[in-house]
Amino acid sequence: MTPHPLGRLLNILDYALSSLRRRLLKNLLVFAVFTLVVFLFSSLLLTRGALGDLAGRLLAAAPDITVQQMVAGRQVPIAASACEGLRGIPGVGLCRGRLWGYYFDSENGANYTVIGLPEGPAGQAPASLSHAVEGRLPQPGERGKAVLATAVRQQLGLEGRRFFSLFRPDLELLSFEAVGTFTGSADALVADTILLAEADVRHLFALPEDQNTDLLVDVVNPLEVETIAAKIADRLPGVRVISKERIAKTYRAVFGWRSGITATALLLALSAFVILAWDRASGLSGEEVREVGILKILGWQSGDIILLRFCESLLVSLFAFLSGWLLAWVHVAHFQAALLRPVFLGWSVLRPQFPLLPPLAAADLFLVLAISVVPYLAATAVPAWRAATVPAHSVL
Amino acid sequence: MRIVLDQVSKVYNSAQPNEVVALERVSLAIDKGEMVCLEGPSGSGKTTLLSILGCVIAPTGGSASIGDKKIARLPDHFRTSYRRQLVGFVFQHFNLLEERSLLENVTLPLYPLGVSPRVRRERALPLLQRLGIDHRRDFPVRQLSGGERQRAAIARALINDPPLLIADEPTAHLDRPLAGEIMDIFAALKAEGRTVIIASHDPLVVTHPAVTRRLALHGGRLLADPPGQR
Ligand SMILES: Nc1ncnc2c1ncn2[C@@H]1O[C@H](COP(=O)(O)OP(=O)(O)OP(=O)(O)O)[C@@H](O)[C@H]1O
Ligand SMILES: [Mg+2]
Repeated sequence: MTPHPLGRLLNILDYALSSLRRRLLKNLLVFAVFTLVVFLFSSLLLTRGALGDLAGRLLAAAPDITVQQMVAGRQVPIAASACEGLRGIPGVGLCRGRLWGYYFDSENGANYTVIGLPEGPAGQAPASLSHAVEGRLPQPGERGKAVLATAVRQQLGLEGRRFFSLFRPDLELLSFEAVGTFTGSADALVADTILLAEADVRHLFALPEDQNTDLLVDVVNPLEVETIAAKIADRLPGVRVISKERIAKTYRAVFGWRSGITATALLLALSAFVILAWDRASGLSGEEVREVGILKILGWQSGDIILLRFCESLLVSLFAFLSGWLLAWVHVAHFQAALLRPVFLGWSVLRPQFPLLPPLAAADLFLVLAISVVPYLAATAVPAWRAATVPAHSVL
Repeated sequence: MRIVLDQVSKVYNSAQPNEVVALERVSLAIDKGEMVCLEGPSGSGKTTLLSILGCVIAPTGGSASIGDKKIARLPDHFRTSYRRQLVGFVFQHFNLLEERSLLENVTLPLYPLGVSPRVRRERALPLLQRLGIDHRRDFPVRQLSGGERQRAAIARALINDPPLLIADEPTAHLDRPLAGEIMDIFAALKAEGRTVIIASHDPLVVTHPAVTRRLALHGGRLLADPPGQR
């Protein structure tokens, strides 16, 4: 009788399934640990991917070059007139001052970023900004109006109310009316932001008329950004010049570093998993030896035993992989990576409500598959082979 | 299908301090349809001889064949192939998987052959009926009595419809009436044209009317004239 290959595979798969059911507790444990490791690692990958997307959007909105005045290693306001000195550099487009600062809300223990409403050449707010706001922006020349990020609105306890107050350095209390809220993905990018008219920002922070927080410089040809940044640094003594590329590097470094911590934690989980796999794999108990001996003396070939072991490992690891990946997806896309956010987003009191949308990358999927299922199968290959070499006559 | 052993020897742990010569130059020929009883005291090599005949182990010397198939010096893989084609083996210690059902145990030899679950069942049920244990088919083996286990072991040996049936002390754990029934089953299998070889020192087996020949082993050697040979 020649074996029927597909029938043989199905029968051995069937036998493997019932074997797994028989050692339910142990296999469930392996399954759980395996799922957890895949879940953690996949969550990490998916979150990183989603944050990468986010950083990309942040960068797209960033100016080509930012110029900051430094005194004794700290940033201080810079005169808008400094722009005059840059006009002569070929390739420099628009240069304008920007007003922003951090405001510490001692009552709520929160930090806000207060930004002056950027105005276009015609004294008009950029169109992209008005699209990202529900409600309206302060009109040109209008004072005392604010646009808030949702998180700030909550922090200030503004549900149902419109007015809030901020302190000037001299403790004068300024009152503002919230006339708009950031929406959609913009809201995520500006999670701790209060947008005011530039004049309001100047007043709030008690900045002199000519002073700005920093200067933004547009460059006509994107390829010249680095060269022009270097020229600006030459022209203006004591300034720090930040190009878009450097911001990108900083993002990458932050994500990389934070993922490093997580990777360490993951390594621990992984080693636990390896130990478990090893234990499961290496432990060829007397009972198992007897079972294999019986199967072999009944006509099962060594190849049948190896296939049986392989099916067992594959069933456990593949299902664990799938459920781990699925859970990770739900975790990141639906629960906004709740378990990983503190790692990635640091210690800000305001937990920015970034809407994480993990990119569906086949590469990630295969990476996780390659570092979970493949090593597990490899770890169980040697013991499977050892089991397969149990001689048939051992049970006589 | 004639079985021939020529000068077959089996040495365990050769050239080691615990070397055992289990069989020494055993020669014999068994014709199709014979029912041979193999006698001998404990440790005389009965199980060893049956294992060689049953394509479970290879002899260390001599030659052996079943029909036109040489079985003495074969790679593991081919010996296993012959075993599942030619031999049904009823083991001395049953070798049943305690946690699996009677039906599963009986059909285990069919799994690697790719026989579908339906066909496995169709082939097993008549055997279980014939042996009077089909009402126990879904019981795990650990819940079966000694007699039921013995029948399960016989049913499993027959699942591939083998021309050669080998039984190692099949009545050792049974009471007399049950032992008689089991022997009647073997007699019936012999009557179907199968060759049956039984190792036993149970008088009930040795003197069973269906037995056509008695062989006696002593210290690994085949005695020319077994005691009490008719
Ligand atoms: N795998 C083995 N390794 C080493 N020695 C073995 C092995 N199997 C059997 N022997 C030895 O070979 C001899 C014959 O053993 P065998 O099992 O064939 O005897 P037996 O006639 O079946 O005995 P019993 O009636 O007790 O079952 C014994 O001395 C035994 O110790
Ligand atoms: Mg024996």
